[in-house]
Amino acid sequence: MTQPSKNKSIEIQTTSDDHRIAKLAAFAIGLHLLEAVLPSPLPGVKPGLANIITLFVLYRFDFATAAWVSLLRVFASSLLLGNFLSPTFALSLSGALLSLAALYFAQYLPRRYFSAVTLSLLAAFAHMTGQLLVVRGWLIPNAGVAYLIPIFMAAALVFGVANGLLTNYLLRINPVRLDEDKG
Amino acid sequence: MRLLVLIFALFLSACGKESLVQTKSYVFGTLVDISIYGETEDKAHEVTSHILQDFQRLHRQYHAWQSDSELSTLNKRFAAGKTPVEMSPELTQMLTQAQTLSKQSQGLFNPAIGGLISIWGFQRDEFTPVEINDMAIQKLVQANPQMSDIVIKNNTAYSTNSTVKLDLGGYAKGYALDLAITELQKQGVKNALVNIGGNIIALGKHGDKPWRVGIQHPREPKPMATLDLPSGWAVGTSGDYQRYFEQAGKRYCHIIDPRNGYPALGTQAVTVLIAPSPQAGVLSDVASKPIFLSAPDQRALAAKAMGVEHYLVVDAESNIRLSASMSGRVHWLTKPEKITVQ
Amino acid sequence: MVKPSKWGKPSLGDVLVILFALLFVAYLFKSLWHNEQAAKLQIRLGDKIYATYSLDQNRNIDIQGSIGVTRIVIANGKARFASSPCPNQYCVHQGWLNHKGHAAICLPNQVSMELLGGKKPFDSLNY
Repeated sequence: MTQPSKNKSIEIQTTSDDHRIAKLAAFAIGLHLLEAVLPSPLPGVKPGLANIITLFVLYRFDFATAAWVSLLRVFASSLLLGNFLSPTFALSLSGALLSLAALYFAQYLPRRYFSAVTLSLLAAFAHMTGQLLVVRGWLIPNAGVAYLIPIFMAAALVFGVANGLLTNYLLRINPVRLDEDKG
Repeated sequence: MRLLVLIFALFLSACGKESLVQTKSYVFGTLVDISIYGETEDKAHEVTSHILQDFQRLHRQYHAWQSDSELSTLNKRFAAGKTPVEMSPELTQMLTQAQTLSKQSQGLFNPAIGGLISIWGFQRDEFTPVEINDMAIQKLVQANPQMSDIVIKNNTAYSTNSTVKLDLGGYAKGYALDLAITELQKQGVKNALVNIGGNIIALGKHGDKPWRVGIQHPREPKPMATLDLPSGWAVGTSGDYQRYFEQAGKRYCHIIDPRNGYPALGTQAVTVLIAPSPQAGVLSDVASKPIFLSAPDQRALAAKAMGVEHYLVVDAESNIRLSASMSGRVHWLTKPEKITVQ
Repeated sequence: MVKPSKWGKPSLGDVLVILFALLFVAYLFKSLWHNEQAAKLQIRLGDKIYATYSLDQNRNIDIQGSIGVTRIVIANGKARFASSPCPNQYCVHQGWLNHKGHAAICLPNQVSMELLGGKKPFDSLNY
């Protein structure tokens, strides 16, 4: 714990965890923005690299922190991109909410058998489902988008597995160093 | 993991190939509908155009009323005298097969009555009422042109009866179906459905299901039943609704009874389902006619003479009569009121 | 002794989940991707069905939408947006649609088209 401030100026008490989380959230926002400007063959099909950060935070901290980083990213990115409350934002938010819901349950899977690959894949499927629900329910309710679903889900499968592998890799090259901090 | 992705990609590409390519075109004065399943689009189009070229050639070569066709030339020579006429090996083979089938049908299938068909005005592209010339009809019936009047020898033929005038209208489409199957198999196509003016032959399957055909209702503008066509099977219908004209409230259809020279009455439609054989297509075209022309109590016999086990008759009163084996294969879309299984 | 890779070995549960996901996606493709040819074209204007046309014809259809006239063309069993007053022209770039379930939409002009199956219970007709 930090010591009480001796200065008059307002100082928010922060922990080293807070700094790491802030850094990770900033990194997630960066990845999100990068993907937003990269062209995509099909609207809605993106690697979702920012989800790697969400997963990493889930493993190194806890679910609440992961949810915080994920939602912070969605809101902050949309403000930076100027599409807050637009359809794009709605797609991001619904995807993030559903993938967090999936992670909430998936975090209890035995770690011995299920690595970040499983969590990433489930989150990617949930993310895509959330987006498709918004498309169907709000954006283009009448047009038949059904034939696009398999393509979206196939993309979710590929990117979900890839992100999961990357998360595993990141977790390995960043061994746990938090135990001493947490005491 | 990468292996899994690879497998998935392979699965996707395999998926893309399995498509149905359906082509509709106009040959033999009728609609030709060719469906090919499980080949690439390019391959399917290539094979289809090949088959259509064959059909065009058959149509030109054996046209019954275009004076420059091989068949018309033969007819002129038959009318002129008894000197043997050179024929293509294909026409020789066709006439030999038609002779056999005509004999089998006891003359009810008779492609030698082109003269009668012409009198009735069915050797035209459009069917408008004709003035019925009873005298001319009588004369031709008495002259009795028969397939057996034609003497075939070493790719030549002559007719002992000068009134023999060949019209392969009830045969050529079936012959074309058999030709199409041979061609499809030669090109390595495993699944196809060929429909020439309602006569259909199947090869392989449509995906994991057999090819399925609809059977036209003779009086309503919709199909009355469906039928699964396993590989090699063919189906054909003779109907009074296909080509006809009406005069003084009476329907004159294109199926002429060679025994009296008049369009057949008493039957609306006969559908025959033909088991696989090298001449399944021909039989699907030919075998329905003798049944169509037979009296109600003679239909089973006529079918048997043509080697047909599966047949369905809609008689003049719209009653449906079908053979027991056929009744097991027909799926009614609108269940008819009266069905008699014979 | 082999040094463990930084990637680690895929764990059993992961492999099972991936296999299950593959099956799921395969199932989606199988059930949602019809190779079936379409028979009819349904056009919507705004939230209403504008018209339904058979694909067995060749014709042009001009639709007065909210920002101008959209032209849809039916030819040889296929249909497409031929011209549109919209700025991005996404709808026109979609090209020909010919399978059941395929759809294209022009959001600016609020015109959408969807291909419907023919509900034909057979492959070809015997007559």
